[in-house]
Amino acid sequence: MASIKFNNVYMKDWFTVTGPIESNSKLKKSDLQMDDYYYGEKTFEKAEVKMQKVVLEKIMERNNLKPEAVDLLIGGDLLDQIAATNYASNDIPISLLGIYSACATFPESLIIGGMFLNDKEINKVLSITSSHNLSAERQFRYPIEYGAPRPHTSTFTSTAAISTLLENAMGKIKIESATIGKTTDMDITDANNLGAVMAPAAARTLYEHLTDLKRPIDYYDLILTGDLGCIGGTIFKEYFERKYKLKIKKHLDAGCELYLKSQETYSGGSGPACLPLVLFNKIIPTNKYKKILIIGTGALHSKTFVNQKNSIPAIAHAVSLEVL
Amino acid sequence: MYLQAFLFAGIVCLICQVVLDNTKLTPGHITSFVTVVGALLSFLGIYDKIVSWCGAGATVLIANFGHMLYTAGITGYKEAGILGLFQNLLCQSGVAIVSVVVFSFVFTMIFKAKD
Repeated sequence: MASIKFNNVYMKDWFTVTGPIESNSKLKKSDLQMDDYYYGEKTFEKAEVKMQKVVLEKIMERNNLKPEAVDLLIGGDLLDQIAATNYASNDIPISLLGIYSACATFPESLIIGGMFLNDKEINKVLSITSSHNLSAERQFRYPIEYGAPRPHTSTFTSTAAISTLLENAMGKIKIESATIGKTTDMDITDANNLGAVMAPAAARTLYEHLTDLKRPIDYYDLILTGDLGCIGGTIFKEYFERKYKLKIKKHLDAGCELYLKSQETYSGGSGPACLPLVLFNKIIPTNKYKKILIIGTGALHSKTFVNQKNSIPAIAHAVSLEVL
Repeated sequence: MYLQAFLFAGIVCLICQVVLDNTKLTPGHITSFVTVVGALLSFLGIYDKIVSWCGAGATVLIANFGHMLYTAGITGYKEAGILGLFQNLLCQSGVAIVSVVVFSFVFTMIFKAKD
């Protein structure tokens, strides 16, 4: 059961809040911007909780929804035990399914939400995801206070939170089909080169998606990978074309499309927020692409396992979207 | 002397930067490695000479920490044997270590981490 087709599953609305650097990047202006990394809280972690809470409350406000009207909340983030989502949902009385597949969390939430909506079990699902540069870097690499220089292959965790409202009534974007990825491990141990870790997983999912649904590769106007970064994006393209002997027509990587060169983020952006952020605030507003395949790529990086010199497995989930 | 100080410290930093850029070693690895090299050069009697040629160019580097550990340890050993080695080891570098702890504490009380 790798690929699923959905009937009548739509994205109705989305709400984004962006961090100080993301607000001045290549993106169109988001719904809300943060002036600093604290967002009025005491710690970076609490700031991330607040970001999630704000986007959830605002999207419900904009669509005149009370928490009782939403059937299910699905989401996750990068913090241990998906803490940001757990804390943010504390004050919002909606049934919660917490999920984790690192930066592939957003497509995973669409797939799970889509399944519920497809069966008409329920009518309204909220998806939530976020990442915060300084809380993630502290957890996975170095805390900012340490002042370590970053290698040029490293990506920069984006700071943003995004909530998406899914319904089985007509909306702005149709969720057409999806492919659930398989864990792929290429024996890479370098936490500063996650693009290379995730690229083979993305290529594998893309190939499985195309073969399962018997589609030619130029069926899609755009293939948007999650957060491989500029370096990982190049690896992905080359790996896919060499291994599966297919030529990708149009590929963009959300990580590479996020920051300006002057922002010195090296290989580009990453984090669960990166893909939906670029999708909603850059790709969709251009109105250039109708059929988009998003491939969220997650490096399933465990601090303990990596410190014990184990490799980093990766996963990628693909969701096919049709802009209406 | 100024030129020598500039050149020596610069070359050491250059080597470290090349190592950092081309290997997967972390800054922590490199700092420890340079400390050990400093102690080794001190043992061979070379670091003293470098200090007299380059002055602060040699004493501000982390390699000087290794040099101080070695010289303090060996003085202690000469005075009171093995126990003296342990007793004396941090004698010279104590200033740096204690000040790091104290100033870090003071500054974390005043400032918050930012981007």
